[in-house]
Amino acid sequence: MNCEICQLKELDVEHFEIHEVLRCKILHTILFHRALGLVRPKDIDLELFEITYVQCGDVELERKVDEKIDQFLDRVDKHPNKKNQICLSFYEVKNKQPTWFTNKVERLYWEQWYINLNVAPHQKGHSGKSTSSKIVVDPEAEERTVRRAALEASLRDVLFQIIRFVNEKKDHIPPIPNLEGVSFPYEITISSSSDSAFGMEMFKRMLQTGHPTMLS
Amino acid sequence: MDLHSYPHGEHGRFEQIFNQFLLKSLHIILDSRVPMNRLPSRGGEIRKSDRWFNLVLGDRPAAMDSLSFWNRSLMEPMVIDIILVQESRYSLSEHDSHSTLATEMPAETVIERWVVQYEHQRSMAPQIGDAFYKKTYKKSIILLRSVYSMLRLLPAYKAFRKQQSFKQNCGFEINYKICSFGSPLLRSEEESMKNYSFIPIDAQQGRLSVSVMYRKDLSDFNLDSCVSHPIEIISDYVGSPLTDPMRAFPCTSSEKGHSISFQTRGRQSAPPSPFQRPHSWSSGLQRELSSQQSQPYSASPPLYRSPYEYSSSPTEAYIQRNQNQRFPANQKAPCDEILSPPFSSSPSPSPPTKSVIPFHNRRHPETAPMSIPHPMIARSPRYLSPNLSDPSRNSLPPLSPRNTKYDSSSHESPSGIRSIRRLDSARTGEMSNTPTNAGPKLSRDSKEDSGRFSSLLSSSSSPRVGLSRTSSRLSFQDDFGDCDCPFIVDDVDPPDNQTSSNLGARNCSEVSSLAPSTMKKSQDAAVGALVHMLKTAPPLRQESCYHNTHSSKTEFEGEVGAASEFFKPRKASDAFEELKVYRQMKDLLLSKSAARVVSKEKTEF
Repeated sequence: MNCEICQLKELDVEHFEIHEVLRCKILHTILFHRALGLVRPKDIDLELFEITYVQCGDVELERKVDEKIDQFLDRVDKHPNKKNQICLSFYEVKNKQPTWFTNKVERLYWEQWYINLNVAPHQKGHSGKSTSSKIVVDPEAEERTVRRAALEASLRDVLFQIIRFVNEKKDHIPPIPNLEGVSFPYEITISSSSDSAFGMEMFKRMLQTGHPTMLS
Repeated sequence: MDLHSYPHGEHGRFEQIFNQFLLKSLHIILDSRVPMNRLPSRGGEIRKSDRWFNLVLGDRPAAMDSLSFWNRSLMEPMVIDIILVQESRYSLSEHDSHSTLATEMPAETVIERWVVQYEHQRSMAPQIGDAFYKKTYKKSIILLRSVYSMLRLLPAYKAFRKQQSFKQNCGFEINYKICSFGSPLLRSEEESMKNYSFIPIDAQQGRLSVSVMYRKDLSDFNLDSCVSHPIEIISDYVGSPLTDPMRAFPCTSSEKGHSISFQTRGRQSAPPSPFQRPHSWSSGLQRELSSQQSQPYSASPPLYRSPYEYSSSPTEAYIQRNQNQRFPANQKAPCDEILSPPFSSSPSPSPPTKSVIPFHNRRHPETAPMSIPHPMIARSPRYLSPNLSDPSRNSLPPLSPRNTKYDSSSHESPSGIRSIRRLDSARTGEMSNTPTNAGPKLSRDSKEDSGRFSSLLSSSSSPRVGLSRTSSRLSFQDDFGDCDCPFIVDDVDPPDNQTSSNLGARNCSEVSSLAPSTMKKSQDAAVGALVHMLKTAPPLRQESCYHNTHSSKTEFEGEVGAASEFFKPRKASDAFEELKVYRQMKDLLLSKSAARVVSKEKTEF
């Protein structure tokens, strides 16, 4: 089974926007389409943008996602001025005889989502969620507004991209192991462009899944 | 195609999946585009219809109840138009003598058109087998999730949220039209719209497709001019339900061939729907309901934060409930079971195969006019005023005041007060708080109700009680103000004691002693006693004697047996005998007097 890979459009975000953007993209677009069990959708409005995304109502899932986002924020703080990436992977668990370079349990990835964020340098003392402050000069506020509108449009495009991908690729979805929460086992990994582990991670996955199908 | 009768076999299963897909997609679209005041769905309860495609959406819109027209073939598409209605002012020509004022005409613009259809392809080989339809069902699940997400990304969602927030004050309305064909759009409209088609799902002998044509930009409609208006005069004010009864307003739905057009909210010119009537007293209720709707028990409305100016916050209770309701994956369900969610541990989710529960059984989720429960509604009708008593008793006279007295105590005032208290507690529906011993007494009292006759004692004691009663009892008391009716008897007395049942001769202590016995008398026995009493009632010409004995009853206090003789029925033969006796006495007296005269004369000589 081939692994379908989707490289999402890169977004230029500021530090305070990371949390909402990642939550929206990961929860709304991807996991909602992969939680095929009984779901009572819950609409969530973003605070910074006029975008509503949907949660599938799994508390454990939300907790895990928030944990990963916090880890991502820590990495961004540690590695500023670098392109950072979050990878959401869905896999199948295959029991295999242990060999000298593989574990007993093999993960067969059948879908991977790469969320690319270009984080602007974090300005200390900047109030992220306030659109204006007394000290800010008007041109900067106007520039921020323009940038925010552009980011919102880009974010909306990314969400459309995800919906298109989800609709175009359905045949590779394996049998559903369980109907609770996210129906498929998944993992969220964080990497940055200069990280050596980033390349190793990609190489490892390529070995496990074969030649990936790139879709931009 | 009838929703409730599906042909058996593969074709039947697919038809069922397709019909449920239609209903589900319609539900999703209407929920995301047309604001409808709905009562929050019963928390935690998941209907069978919600289990289709594993997407719980809550109560269906009322418009879906009218889908009986949708007896359509599999080939006809379902076209859902989302229409933006705005009032556009235009002024007539100054030379027009008929009107010189600017008039408002509603301008309707189709901002979205959803098309759900089954594209039959004869060249395609029919796909059969459980695996195939399960795969189709799984893809349908994903497709509906995509539709759900897409609806929140399109520009019309913003308009929907604004109307939901501002209700009447947003300057526009969103209507919808469901039909099997799409009305042709103007070229200018088509040019301003963008088309998006979801990837079709391979079905049995064709494809299941969903597409949407939507306006890319709604800035031309100036939807951002919504402001929270101040006080608005309600021209069709109905009034609170406490003062005025609710008036029915005509619905504004109309049918055009196979299409159904629904107007969710009427402006001042059109009468509003019965569930969206602007009331000053119901506005708070609607706001409260809308705030309740923001609870995550319903799919939409969502959590409201800026910039949509919603203040409600979600709770996660439903999440826990949802988790508890998730069925284990190891359960299996028979494949032929209809309308059961996929409990199987099979790789792919199997769709429910039962027929749809007719949603006519679903209660209407709109906010019906609230009816304030009347505090006078008591659980026990026997405590109601006579006018509210059992209709079967209407043929009988009103309840007697003695029915209020159901305490076995001989004390008048305490029992009267207790009766009042119990009356009041019953009227306020606090029956559960009454003492347990009130139960049998209440039941006894119910039996008393059939007896429309009360003891004279109660009638005599009732004036004291009646003064402190409620108005219903007071009015009832007025009817029995003169309790000197000779036919007022103790209806619980056995028929043998009817001779002593003329309660006008009884004193208080006697009736109070009979009170427990009266309690026990059944309704039928009371009627029988009444009939018997009527039959054995003394004739009218004995009334003078009756009243005389009544006035003299105090003299014969304690001599009940002697008093009873006065009420013996007298016959003519008795009268003759008595006459004879009098004559005899007269003769005797005369003879004695004559004898005296003779003896006196003899002595004189």
